[in-house]
Amino acid sequence: MSSKETHKPAVQTTGHAWDGDLQEFNNPLPRWWLWAFYATVVFAVIYWVIYPAWPLGRDYTKGLFNTITYETSDGRQVETHWNTRARFLREMQAARAKQEQILQRLAGVPYQEIAADRELSAFAYSMAKVLFADNCAACHQSGGAGVAGLYPNLADDAWLWGGTYAEIEQTIRNGRRGFMPSFARALDEQQLDDVATFVLSLSGFEVDPEAARRGGAIFNGQAGGCYYCHTHEGTGMTSQGAANLTDAVWTVARVQATAGVEANKEAVKAVIRKGIQREMPAWAGRLDDTEIRILTFYVHQLGGGQ
Amino acid sequence: MDTTETYNYRVVRQFAIMTVVWGVVGLLVGVIIAAQLLWPQLNFDIPWLTYSRLRPLHTNAVIFAFGGSALFATSYYVVQRTCQTRLFSDGLAAFTFWGWNLVIVLAAITLPLGITTSKEYAELEWPIDILITLVWVAYAVVFFGTILKRKVKHIYVANWFYGAFILTVAVLHVVNSAALPVTLTKSYSVYAGAIDAMVQWWYGHNAVGFFLTAGFLGMMYYFVPKQAERPIYSYRLSVVHFWALISTYMWAGPHHLHYTALPDWAQSLGMVFSLILLAPSWGGMINGIMTLSGAWHKLRTDPILRFLIVSLSFYGMSTFEGPMMSIKTVNSLSHYTDWTIGHVHSGALGWVGLVSMGSIYFLIPRLFNREGMYSTRLVELHFWTATIGIVLYIAAMWIAGVMQGLMWRAVNEDGTLTYSFVESLEATYPYYAVRLAGGVLYLFGMLVMAYNVFKTISGATPARAPATQAA
Repeated sequence: MSSKETHKPAVQTTGHAWDGDLQEFNNPLPRWWLWAFYATVVFAVIYWVIYPAWPLGRDYTKGLFNTITYETSDGRQVETHWNTRARFLREMQAARAKQEQILQRLAGVPYQEIAADRELSAFAYSMAKVLFADNCAACHQSGGAGVAGLYPNLADDAWLWGGTYAEIEQTIRNGRRGFMPSFARALDEQQLDDVATFVLSLSGFEVDPEAARRGGAIFNGQAGGCYYCHTHEGTGMTSQGAANLTDAVWTVARVQATAGVEANKEAVKAVIRKGIQREMPAWAGRLDDTEIRILTFYVHQLGGGQ
Repeated sequence: MDTTETYNYRVVRQFAIMTVVWGVVGLLVGVIIAAQLLWPQLNFDIPWLTYSRLRPLHTNAVIFAFGGSALFATSYYVVQRTCQTRLFSDGLAAFTFWGWNLVIVLAAITLPLGITTSKEYAELEWPIDILITLVWVAYAVVFFGTILKRKVKHIYVANWFYGAFILTVAVLHVVNSAALPVTLTKSYSVYAGAIDAMVQWWYGHNAVGFFLTAGFLGMMYYFVPKQAERPIYSYRLSVVHFWALISTYMWAGPHHLHYTALPDWAQSLGMVFSLILLAPSWGGMINGIMTLSGAWHKLRTDPILRFLIVSLSFYGMSTFEGPMMSIKTVNSLSHYTDWTIGHVHSGALGWVGLVSMGSIYFLIPRLFNREGMYSTRLVELHFWTATIGIVLYIAAMWIAGVMQGLMWRAVNEDGTLTYSFVESLEATYPYYAVRLAGGVLYLFGMLVMAYNVFKTISGATPARAPATQAA
C-alpha cells in the first residue's frame, strides 16, 4: 500500500496484478516437491496392487501376493486375501494359544488349588488386576475400598453377601440387589432414636441403656421387625445381604469411632429412615466364565475371604 | 450519498469484529473443558456444564463461529478488492451476517441443552441445519455474483480457494445432515451403520480439508503477499497444488475409520489418498513461505507477518503429521489417543488460529481508517503467548497420546495386559495440566487481541474506500 520495494526478479511475473500490488511470479514447481508428489503416487499404486483397494460393483479388488491364514471357530484353516478382520482373529488366536494351557487349568481346578499354586495364582493375579480396574474399580475403587454408603468395601473382612469363593462367584456372576425398606412411616422420631441407639450398642458404643432397651424391643418385635433380616443377635444374614451390625464395620451409615454418639446416632437414623436400594449388575455374559473365576479369586484374596 | 462505487466494508467490519468476539468465547469454552479433564467437579453437577455438552459447543464455536466469521470477513474483503467491484448484493451479505450469527447463538443454546444429532462437527439439529443451508446459499450467491461482475479479467488465486471452500462445504453440509425429523429438536440420520459412519467422516475430514484448509489458504494467498509486499512465489505451483488438493481431499475421510466395520478397500483408499495429499498440502505452505524470499528481514520487525508465516509452519507440520497418522500401522497406535487431539490443535491453533489473527490484524486498521493497530507491542505479545501456548499444548498431547497408545497395547510375558485403562488416564494427568496451561496462554493472547482491536477502533471513522484503484 505504501512504500513498495523495487525488485529485479530473475523470474518473470505472470503479468497480472490485482488490488494494486498483488502479483504472481511464475517460478517452476520445486523439484523435490514434485518428486515427493510422484513418490506418494507410486507408493499408492503399489499399495493398491497388494491390498484390497478398489470397489467393483458388489465386489472389490482383493490385492495380490498377500494372503492370510486363520482358524475358524470350528477349527477349519481358512486362507483368504489380506483383511483386517482375519488379522484380528489371527492375533487373538495367537494370544489365546499362548495362554490356553494356563486358562484351562484355571477353569478346571478348585479355587483353593489356584491359591496354592504359585504359577496359577501369579497369572490369575496379573490378569485380574486389569480386569478389576477396567470393570469393577469404577464403583469399588482401585484398591477395592469402595465408597461408604454407596459401594461396599471389598478389602475388609466383612461380607454382606458372603465371603466364600462360591458366594463371591455368585455375586459377580448374577449381581446383587441390596434392599432395606424405609422406616420413615413405620416408626416415629422417638422410636427411630431408640432403634439407632440399640444398633450402636450392638457394636460396643457407650449409649443410654434405657433407650437401647426400648430400641431392642422394637428391633426384635413386630414394630420394627429388624430381626427378620439382621437376626435377633444383629449378626445379619448373607442370604439377604443384611449387614452384620455387631462387627463395627459400617458400610452404609457414616458411623465413626471418633465421632460423638449423637452424630453417629443421626447417621444410623438416616439409614433406617431412608432404607437402602442399591444394585450390583450381573457380569455373566459380559465377562466369560474364566474371567469371572479369576475375579472371584482376586476379590477373595483382596479382603479376608472365607 | 456520493456516486462513486465503494466497497462494502460494513459486512467485513461486522464479521471481523465477531471473529474476535467468538474467538474469545470459543477458546474460553475450550479452556473450561480442558480444566474439567483435570478437575471433573468443575461441571458443578449442572447438566448444561458437563464436558459432553460443552465439548461440541467448543468445537462449533471455534470452527464455525470464530473460523467461519474470519472466512466470511476475509473472503468478502478479498473478493471485492481483487475483483475491484462492490459485493454482488448488500442485502444478501447482511443476511449472511445476521443469519450466521443466529446459527451460532442457536448452537450456544441447543448444545448445552443436550440437543444434538451426535454427529461430530455436525451436531446441530435439523431446523438449524436448514438455516445454515439458507445462509450458505446466500453466501455463494454473494461471492460468485461478485466474481461474475468483476472488473479485472483474471480471477485471483485466493478466490479459487474461497470458491472451492464455499461450493464444497455446501455439498458436505447438505449430504451429511440429511435426516428424518421426528420433532423440532430430534431427527434421525437417513444413513445407517457403517454407511452413516462413512458419510460422517467423509464430511468430517472434508470439513478439515475445505473449511479449515481451502478457505484459510484463500486467506493466506491474499494476506501473505499483501503484508510481505512481494508477489506470490509461483503461479504454476498454485495451479497444480489447488487442483491436486481439492481432488484428493475428498477421498481421505476413511482414515478416521481404520480397523472398524468399514470395508478394507475403503480403508486402503482413505489411507493412500491421505498420503498423496502430503505434497498438494505442502504446495500451499511452500508458496506462502517462499513468497517471503528476498523479504525475510521483515519477520524481525513485523509481528503480523510473523503470525502469517508461523501459521504456515504449523500448517506444514500438521499436514505432514496427518498423512503419517493415516498409515494404518501408525494409526493403530495413535487412534483414540490424545495424539489426535494434539494433531488437530496444531492445525487449529497453529494454522487456522494464527492465520486468522494475522489477517484480522491486517484488516482492522484498513477497515476503520487507522494508521495501524493501537499497539504493535501488544500484537507482539499476542504472537509470543499464542506460539508458546501452542507448543505447550501440542507437545503435551503428543507425549500423552503416544504414552496412552503404548500403555494400551502393552502386554506382559504371560500374555496378560500390563495396564488397565484407568492407569493410562492417571498417567495422562500431568499432560492435561500442561495442555491447560497452553490453552490459557492462547486464550490470554486472544484477550490481548480483543483489547488491542477495541482500542484501535474506538473513536475512529469507518473507511469508505473507492472501488476503483490505480492498478
